[in-house]
Amino acid sequence: MSLKALLKSGIMLDLYFYKNNRGAFISMLLWPYLMLALILGMGMMLGSPEAFKENVGLAVNPIIFFIASTLIAMASVDVMWGVGGNVLFYRWVGTLPYILLSPNKTSPTLVLTYIPRYLLFTFIQIMEFVPLILVLEGVYRGILDIGIFILAATVGMLPLLGFSALFASFLLTIKEESNVLSWLNPIILLFSGAFYPVYLLPHWARLISQLLPSTYTIELARTVAIIGTPKLAAITFLIGILAGMTIFYNVLAYMFVDAGEKKAMKEGAI
Amino acid sequence: MAITRIKAILWLHTLRLRRYKWSFLNMILAETAWIFLFILGALLFVPSEYLGTAVKAAFWTIVAWNVISQFSSLIGGWMNFFISIGMVEEHTLRGISPFKMILGRIIPSFSVITASLLFMAAILNGVFNTNVLLVNNLPLLVLALLLLVVEGLSYGLTIAAISIRTSIPYNMLEILNFAVVGILMIPVQSLPEMIRIVYLCIPYAAPAHLAKIATAINMSALFTEALIISIAEALIMALTALHFIKSSEKWMKRNGVRAVGFW
Repeated sequence: MSLKALLKSGIMLDLYFYKNNRGAFISMLLWPYLMLALILGMGMMLGSPEAFKENVGLAVNPIIFFIASTLIAMASVDVMWGVGGNVLFYRWVGTLPYILLSPNKTSPTLVLTYIPRYLLFTFIQIMEFVPLILVLEGVYRGILDIGIFILAATVGMLPLLGFSALFASFLLTIKEESNVLSWLNPIILLFSGAFYPVYLLPHWARLISQLLPSTYTIELARTVAIIGTPKLAAITFLIGILAGMTIFYNVLAYMFVDAGEKKAMKEGAI
Repeated sequence: MAITRIKAILWLHTLRLRRYKWSFLNMILAETAWIFLFILGALLFVPSEYLGTAVKAAFWTIVAWNVISQFSSLIGGWMNFFISIGMVEEHTLRGISPFKMILGRIIPSFSVITASLLFMAAILNGVFNTNVLLVNNLPLLVLALLLLVVEGLSYGLTIAAISIRTSIPYNMLEILNFAVVGILMIPVQSLPEMIRIVYLCIPYAAPAHLAKIATAINMSALFTEALIISIAEALIMALTALHFIKSSEKWMKRNGVRAVGFW
């Protein structure tokens, strides 16, 4: 089976899934706004935007700050579930043995069938926020912000794919049926500074943050929240880190998923 | 005979809780981590001098929401599993209502809520140097939480009863759950006087307001109104659940289980 066929199967699977599950499609559209409304609503009930700026220590627009957080948090969770969590899903529905026995290696199958879904649905979610961003930021600045969101979501996906494939390998080997990803995901987001900036976390937590690709993706997306033109040097620096992490995590994932797959086949851990 | 049946139901759910201990731990950690993530974001808006009060207010609102969401989804949501393994028919044939069976889910729901509440309190107390468990009126808090349990349970059973006759998309109910937390967050004092009572009539709002009164100092607005509305609402919701259960059981005996449940 060629790589093109894997990509095509990924696209067809998702298009038909949402065609036949309109409720799931509608909820996918509603979810980002609900998350944003919950945090902003809770925040406004308990405090004020002025206190927010003081606590964050930067001149930022809280709404844009949390749009960036929501978009990247949702994209990160989606990648981790879409690649890592799929191993559990395939195990539960009994299709994991077929995937392990298929001519393609498990790692490319998991990653390549997922990429079209990620790109399509992350793009839809960014587009959902376009009207709000244009109203808040104006046309010129709004277009710039949307461009940076698309850049962050695309570049940030690459190391996360490898990172999530490592989870897939871990889930293949531990023979654990319970859903460890459901608590690992929010903890990863917590350390990545998804809704609470990394620099406000304790020192030990900041050390963990530095190892997570989602930390830099969130930082990149959040450059748009700073009042004033985003600095090109900061954006280039973050892209550079994400490029390095892409190589590191994907090479590591390629090695470990292979080993996990062999172990699972040898021990029948499927 | 009735006692033997109750013992069997309790035994099953306790045994499952022990056997699926990793799933239980997983539920507690996931629940706590997600809530903590959102609370941290919201607390960025709070001036540092009011952080202690805000953390406590946020904590008890989240606890109230947790009670509603756990009871409705762990009980309502289990019907899907129960239908898919063919157990509804098995129990009906043996003269045991499947609803009595899923009522035993109170055990895991209560365990998850208690453990995540204590875990969350320990984290918040440690991080924000406060004591969120220090309450003003403990009996009132217990009453408020009990009323929330009755309402959440009634909602969960109503959903389970409806899901026997038709499928209910799980994600739609998740969205509804999400909307509830937004409603619970609204302080009744911030609303115009004429709509305060209307607000309290929204399901869960009145008992959640009672919980806020019980945990806050110097707050007693609309206590009597909230108490009366909470009791009346809990009774209405419980009676509605009973009505749906009875009509679903009748329908199921005539037509069989038709749907895929709550998914």
